[in-house]
Amino acid sequence: MQDSMKVCTGNFGKHAQGIDAYKKLGGYSNISSRLFDLSQSETIDLVQHSGLRGRGGAGFPTGMKWSFVPRNSGKPVYIVVNADEGEAGTYKDHFLILEDPHRLIEGLIIAAWALGARCAYIYARGEFMPCIEALNKAINEAYAAHLLGENIGGTKFCFDVFVHRGAGAYICGEETALINSLEGQKGQPRLKPPFPAVAGAWACPTCVNNVETIMSLPWIFSHPVSEYTKMGTPRAHGTKVFCVSGDVKRPGLYEAPLGTPLMEMLTSEEYAQGVIGNLKGVIPGGSSCPPLVPAECEKATLDYECMASLKTMFGSGAIIVFNDTRNAVDLLDVLGLFYSHESCGQCTPCREGTGFAKRVLDAIMKGKGHDGDIGLLQSIADGFVGTTICPLSLSLGMPLNSYTAKYRADFEAYIAKNPNHAEPRIKSTVRPGAYW
Amino acid sequence: MSNYYNMPKLPSAKSPMVTIKVDGKDMQVPGDTNLLEALQTVGIETPHVCYHPYLPVSGNCRQCLVEQEGPRGRALVISCYTPVAPGMVVYTPASSARVKNARRAVSEFMLVNHPLDCPICDKAGECTLQENYIEAGQDESRLNGDVGRNFHGNPAHQFVDSKGQLRGGKRVDLGPRIVLDEERCVQCDRCVRFMRSIAKSEQLQLASRGDRTFITTFPGEKLDHEYDLCVTDLCPTGALTAKYFRFQKRVWFLSRTPTVSMDDSLGANIWLDHADGFLWRVMPRCNPDVNRTWISNTSRLAFLEFSKNRLPASPLDAVREALKAPGKVALVAGGECTLEDLAALKLLKKSLGDRAELFGGTFKKIFPADGLSKSGDPMADRAGFKLMNVPDDNLGDLVKRASEFAVLVTVNADLFGEDASKASSLEKIATRIALAAFNTETVKKSQVAFGVNHWSEVAGTMVNCGGLLQKLSAAPTAPDAALVPAYSALTALAGNEVTEVSAAYKLAQGEAPALADVSFESIRSTGFMLDGVKA
Repeated sequence: MQDSMKVCTGNFGKHAQGIDAYKKLGGYSNISSRLFDLSQSETIDLVQHSGLRGRGGAGFPTGMKWSFVPRNSGKPVYIVVNADEGEAGTYKDHFLILEDPHRLIEGLIIAAWALGARCAYIYARGEFMPCIEALNKAINEAYAAHLLGENIGGTKFCFDVFVHRGAGAYICGEETALINSLEGQKGQPRLKPPFPAVAGAWACPTCVNNVETIMSLPWIFSHPVSEYTKMGTPRAHGTKVFCVSGDVKRPGLYEAPLGTPLMEMLTSEEYAQGVIGNLKGVIPGGSSCPPLVPAECEKATLDYECMASLKTMFGSGAIIVFNDTRNAVDLLDVLGLFYSHESCGQCTPCREGTGFAKRVLDAIMKGKGHDGDIGLLQSIADGFVGTTICPLSLSLGMPLNSYTAKYRADFEAYIAKNPNHAEPRIKSTVRPGAYW
Repeated sequence: MSNYYNMPKLPSAKSPMVTIKVDGKDMQVPGDTNLLEALQTVGIETPHVCYHPYLPVSGNCRQCLVEQEGPRGRALVISCYTPVAPGMVVYTPASSARVKNARRAVSEFMLVNHPLDCPICDKAGECTLQENYIEAGQDESRLNGDVGRNFHGNPAHQFVDSKGQLRGGKRVDLGPRIVLDEERCVQCDRCVRFMRSIAKSEQLQLASRGDRTFITTFPGEKLDHEYDLCVTDLCPTGALTAKYFRFQKRVWFLSRTPTVSMDDSLGANIWLDHADGFLWRVMPRCNPDVNRTWISNTSRLAFLEFSKNRLPASPLDAVREALKAPGKVALVAGGECTLEDLAALKLLKKSLGDRAELFGGTFKKIFPADGLSKSGDPMADRAGFKLMNVPDDNLGDLVKRASEFAVLVTVNADLFGEDASKASSLEKIATRIALAAFNTETVKKSQVAFGVNHWSEVAGTMVNCGGLLQKLSAAPTAPDAALVPAYSALTALAGNEVTEVSAAYKLAQGEAPALADVSFESIRSTGFMLDGVKA
């Protein structure tokens, strides 16, 4: 892909962190030329026409999300940038901010103009100290250049940006938990409704967007919409930043048009340059997604619809590749550790169930597994479906179901280490339902 | 944690009725409430743990799941946070296997890390988890020692038991009145919400996350609040227990008597839990118009003194003799007097003729209302005094004119105990008679004392400060079976003894026209609103 067609990563490797360098590469051209001639609704329409979808994982159309934010509610509108990137395998926001912080600020100014927001919060993960420093430096430069603050570009438009450092909780990537954390409360997801677009931070209309979503805006606004829509698939336009990791020759961050075949991403010279060893599976969108077996990888393309048709998720674009030296039980055990540690402890199924599943996996790994354990893990996963406020429990539930189904042999091999594996875990003495 | 501002909307008599479809059947339910309450009105109980009608909705236990027909098909929703909408289609476990399985799964998750020490748990018998297990669970255990449990708890309180299992703190001293068992806690956060939204003193918080979450106070602080014992009522499990009731009595041996706390003019509704002729505890009794489900520690713990320092039963002859003394008689009624006592007192005044005069009131201070279960006025039946046309605040008059009187009769009025300096001039009255439950200062200053039943041992009526006519019931806990209610003694002195409460209530009806149409039997447990009667 040519650098000029890269929506988010065009400035990578060009030392664009300073404002002068960023401007020299064409940055902030929207603010000086075009943006303030558009009305608010024209701005939102433009985003809607571009077909930009949220890049955080859910893929919700950004223009539609913005159109839900009520105008003239009498309350301030807040924009919150979700830079609490915690999904295992995802590292795009980290580098996007480090390499090109001014693009985020430019995108925020566009978003603020569209939503009529007076201020924005960038909720950065606590561990992202270099990012936070880079952002604060960029924000200070932008203030000095009158791109932020009062009366930007000689208009009546005023806009402030603050960086908020989180404390490093995965759940704070969920937008309502993020808002709770931003407010200074415990980071736990809220009951919905009300949705954040109506009553979010401090009960005011709030729009929470991913870093990559906001950083796509400058490119979209400085090019004709048709340039953006002709990339990607009919239902998912534009490009996406993929984080390729695992058993590939060149793991890294690659921007590619949506709809790129998965195998091209893994084998092309431009991208990951090939799989090390024999491919066993690919997790296409971050650790919570069900993996694809090699046969599925062949026909998979990197877009929302194809992944949904393969019963997995496009997610945040974190492609984790593993070869046949990896054991699915080990992989699942790591996920169990991660999700039971990161469960916020609010809903009963997630709070108790993730730890329950983890302890069953531990027993299997210690050679104390029983034949019924695969069914036990699957039934724990079934108990997560639709029973919790946020999808964190499902993030473990989906792997529990898919790993045990797709790599059953790995589990059976581990369970066979227990000499008594054919016996049930609990010898029942009471007939079910015999209590009456 | 979430949405602390969402108080549930409860159905009322004024609720508009709407039709919803439950399990394929059309049902009429209140339209301005949540699904959980609405289903309750048509007799469908929904198991729940974290939901409480008088606390903000938290929606974290997930036990009350039902299925709702939506634009994208049938989805599981929590009934406590789903508002009723006309025409909505709902499925309960009666027709939906998915709901049944989901509730069963939640019930299992709830118990996975629960110690199941029911045999030694104080909450056993009134435990929400036990009820939900019968309602929604009934699973066999799928755990064994190889899988283990992760008992919740503060790492600082954890210990390793004799089987090598890491256990949570079992006796965490939360404050002067409350002990926390961290293992039993199911993180419903009812206590946190109560302290935050109702008591308005954020002393409790959930710390840590995942299955390591535990309830705690701020470092170095203790849970100490006038309403802190309410969290033991709210706790669905045996995690929060009251020190005074811990290991005292199995709850299934307790019988409950509904009555009204006579220490405050709001008349908080309470249960007297008794067994073997003793009171074991006092619990709040839900009355939406009075104290909802809250009761102050003072009212709750007052029962510990109810059987102590009591006057024994004695013959009435001594009182009868003393009343024969010549001169004016001052009849003083205290705030604990029921309407029946006041009617009997008026009967006695009539029988004594012109020489008797009625007084009433208290020397105790009036405090501002706390908005929960206390109006601050220690004169419990003040509105009843007004209704019965008995003076409720003329003790100052009595003190000034003390020398006019020859006989002083106090009924449940501890004048000397309340303010000895103000009451000292009453010693000028030569003959002093006290009808009282306790051996009070006034009794000690009186020549003749007559023991009567305490308010917890009498049936009767009172009017609270809002004009609500409330019924007291008698718990069989009198230390001396020969004790009689005050109205019985007073009517006997008047020469027309009434022993039955219904007959005494008829006397009160004769004195107060507002009661004429309200029979004693028709007063419901939540009271009867009298128009135009206020304290």
